[in-house]
Amino acid sequence: MTDEVLLRVFDLVKHYGDVRAVDGISFDVLVASVFTLLGPNGAGKTTTLEILEGIREPDGGEIGIFGERVKRITRPIKQRIGVLLQDGGFEPYLKVHEILRLFASFFDRPLVVEDVLRHVALVDKAGALVRTLSGGQMQRLALGAALINDPELIFLDEPTTGLDPQARRNMWSVVTDLRESGKTIILTTHYMEEAEALSDSVCILDHGTIIAEGTPRELTQAFGEETMVEFRMDDLADARLGGLDACCREYRVDGGSVTVETEDLPATMEGLFAWSRRENVPLDSLIVRQPNLEDVFLSLTGRRLRE
Amino acid sequence: MIGVLRIAFTHVVTAIRERVTLFWFLVFPVFLLVLLALIFGNIGEEREIRFEVGLVNRDTSGSTPVDFAAVVEETFEGLAEPADEGTPSLFTLYRPSGATDVGAFLEAELTALRRGRRAAVIVIPEGFGAAVLGTMSSGAGGSSELTVYMTTSDVASQMATEIIGQVLSAIDREILVRGGRFDPEMAIDSRAVWLGTTGEETPYVDFVLPGIVLMGFFVNGLFGVPGAILFNRDRRVLRRYWVTPLSVPRYLAGFSIGHLALCALQFALLYVLGRYALGASVSFASAPACLLLVLSAVTFLAFGFLIASLAKTANAGMATANILNMPMMFLSGLFFPIAGLPLFLRLIVYANPLSYLAQGLRSTLGVETSAFSWPLILGVPLGWIALSILVASMRLKWDVER
Repeated sequence: MTDEVLLRVFDLVKHYGDVRAVDGISFDVLVASVFTLLGPNGAGKTTTLEILEGIREPDGGEIGIFGERVKRITRPIKQRIGVLLQDGGFEPYLKVHEILRLFASFFDRPLVVEDVLRHVALVDKAGALVRTLSGGQMQRLALGAALINDPELIFLDEPTTGLDPQARRNMWSVVTDLRESGKTIILTTHYMEEAEALSDSVCILDHGTIIAEGTPRELTQAFGEETMVEFRMDDLADARLGGLDACCREYRVDGGSVTVETEDLPATMEGLFAWSRRENVPLDSLIVRQPNLEDVFLSLTGRRLRE
Repeated sequence: MIGVLRIAFTHVVTAIRERVTLFWFLVFPVFLLVLLALIFGNIGEEREIRFEVGLVNRDTSGSTPVDFAAVVEETFEGLAEPADEGTPSLFTLYRPSGATDVGAFLEAELTALRRGRRAAVIVIPEGFGAAVLGTMSSGAGGSSELTVYMTTSDVASQMATEIIGQVLSAIDREILVRGGRFDPEMAIDSRAVWLGTTGEETPYVDFVLPGIVLMGFFVNGLFGVPGAILFNRDRRVLRRYWVTPLSVPRYLAGFSIGHLALCALQFALLYVLGRYALGASVSFASAPACLLLVLSAVTFLAFGFLIASLAKTANAGMATANILNMPMMFLSGLFFPIAGLPLFLRLIVYANPLSYLAQGLRSTLGVETSAFSWPLILGVPLGWIALSILVASMRLKWDVER
């Protein structure tokens, strides 16, 4: 990653009727970095991405990209970007290599299709019809189509949604490799651990505006020296939870789990075990962890990201 | 340009690989052509018509100077004989042999008539000759009726009865002439003069082949175009294209080339089948015919865009196409000539571009005389193309709405 800015968004605005889906957001994306847009459904990240991908036109604001300032993404700019759509489909009766040749034909200087097939590990499936591919193979094909023009800027819109853990890890590895090869990546994801593992910079959106921005470390450090203690509890009766006040300064209940924030872990654990014995609470799935981006979002909005 | 051709290739291979599309694009028109040619292919051909007729003479008087019953018998016997070599006789006559009981024979013949093995049974009643003679000489006498048994449910029986009636009229006339009660010089004769044939009828396969070709183009446009565009839009296939430098006009160009290539493939298949397997003699190798074929394919391509622009989803597009399909196809004279339709149906015919294209193409091919002038044949489809493109350019959504 360098300090050179590849993409600069100025006061971007997009309305859908009376709804301001994107409400004047601005951010920078550095060359050879992974920039992640984070936010719940309806936060405006998909609209932002669609504007930057050239699918929609903004109602206001400007985009600085590849050294020029534009109102909307033009065809010459599209020659230099690659997009992996979250919900894009393919012609089901085309073969894998035909799909890549089709997409290659849209660009002035495409890569060799066979090289891309090797890069996304689909050589064995080159002659298979798209409709016969598994979810993971389909996602690799989509990645291949996004990389066919050797783009400088790559948009990955929830690239691991619906994938099994192995396929998700493989995709993480691809993203890391792309960044190391000098590509700039704009990522959206619902998975906090994914954002934390991959991102150089994170921008958290809510209701069309940016509510926090920085590296994952900068954002989580806003919690200072706090440690999070988390456990599951089936019976969340107020009478039983009331005893927690004595040992835990701050805690929150979410679904079937209780999260305690503490700056004095030994004292908190001691009090927690005493409360557990007194109230006969088993403290299932007890974990001690550092604050994550989910905690950041929760502290900023009072809601979880995936609500 | 390569991108445009790749889109065209995609359109063609997708249609060929997808079974449902392949069926409607290629298998169904071929099937329909073969079916219609086999069922109606013998329309206009000469066929051998022969009626099985029973004849029973119960007149045993025989005392008159002229045996009128025998005259009737001889007349029908004559019709049961071939007129000349190679020409089949009109009737096969069944008569009782000498030793047969006439009553039993009549019963057997009537049973055969009921079972469809006879077209008619003619009975000359007892006293027929005397009755005829009496009528001739004094206007008095008994009944000179012949009884002709037939069945109303059998078309052959009705036809045979009609012919027998004409034969008996001729016998009547002859008897009147012989009795001096009718002067043949005074009779009004008629002479049939056939116009409009050159000795060869247009075979049905020549009539229906252009119709099936147009039907294929029509179905391709009506279902294929909105189907491909709307399904690809709803499945976000098009969205993947729009994040690349591919523009809508270039996509449209590729799609249209692919569509016209499919139409050409379909035409080639139908033409080869019609000409070499079903014996069609019609030739499309003329500039006007080729122009009309291209105009037809383009008209229905544009019509498909119109439907795609009117429907919000792929399923709605297919429903709209289904609603328009039958009335447009059958109210165009594609398969059968249209005559005597009520006014409201004629309005559909006049608004239907298929009507003009079908008549124009058949007229060009020499298998039908067009009721429409050439400005209409070209103008109405061109008007539909302009209207379709105008509406589609304003309404057709190329991406899913939010």
